[in-house]
Amino acid sequence: MNRLMSPVFYPCAKIPDFTYDYLENRLPVTTLVRFRAHLSLCKGCAEFVRLYRLAADPVRFLEETPVPPDLIERTLEFVENNGKR
Amino acid sequence: MSAGDSSRELAASFEDVNAAAFVARLRAGGEDGRRAFETLVRATHGRLSAFVRRHLGDADDAQEVVQEVFLAVHKGLPGFQGNSKLTTWMYSLAHFKVCDVIAARTRSRAVFQDARTETGEIPDALQAAIVEPGVQSTDWDSPPDAVFVRRRVEGLMARAVALLKPPGCDVYRLRDVEGLSGEEVAEMLGLSHAAVRVQLHRARMEIVAWVRARLGESPAGKGVTA
Repeated sequence: MNRLMSPVFYPCAKIPDFTYDYLENRLPVTTLVRFRAHLSLCKGCAEFVRLYRLAADPVRFLEETPVPPDLIERTLEFVENNGKR
Repeated sequence: MSAGDSSRELAASFEDVNAAAFVARLRAGGEDGRRAFETLVRATHGRLSAFVRRHLGDADDAQEVVQEVFLAVHKGLPGFQGNSKLTTWMYSLAHFKVCDVIAARTRSRAVFQDARTETGEIPDALQAAIVEPGVQSTDWDSPPDAVFVRRRVEGLMARAVALLKPPGCDVYRLRDVEGLSGEEVAEMLGLSHAAVRVQLHRARMEIVAWVRARLGESPAGKGVTA
């Protein structure tokens, strides 16, 4: 019998439900143990969690657009000219 | 400097401009208020610009919106009660202005689509406006194959983020990209904390599903025991 079919382990369908709390370190200990046990045996779900973790940390893949230095000066000038209060 | 270091420095600047004493200087106006405002612009311009640009894609539109946001902040400071963080209020203003621009674009697109049915062609300018975000990263220590795979995944992730639709896209951009707290995002978007959590999870799931589909992997929850 596939060990993943054992009642001790969560089925794959349950893994996404726990992943948010897993990343927030909010899973109860027993859930955490079963969750990690599943990941250690299921390559597909381990890959899913790896991608989910990356999706939750977009600094690692989104381009940070440098701001041209003169834009700040132009913004200050724009507000100075238009923002008399 | 890595993107992470840069983000942490920016986050620190954001915390500084939220201090009550700083906000009081801004509200008081005068020469000291003007200097404080300049500090505010310098500390927040980059991050607000990135936020607006990620929504709009176009750098010129983004710069125009950011200027309007700072003007609105300057004019609105006397009435700012300090019930929320200064930066949360600024993001709210930026979010509203971004929505205005997107609504205007949607109206223009409707007009354009009417025109397209007559001519059957898409103008070059519009084709050029369809931008796919790129990925800039180097890792000389990793094997070439691993670097290639990682870049491909990161590139797909960036494209998936660009395809997110509201309300998940707003929550994701504010929470994960800009690093605002769940409470701040809930306040800005008028959502409950639970709704922010649900929308954020859905957005991340959409990103992962889109990337996995392009990598030829089965969706989550469809593995051995599904």
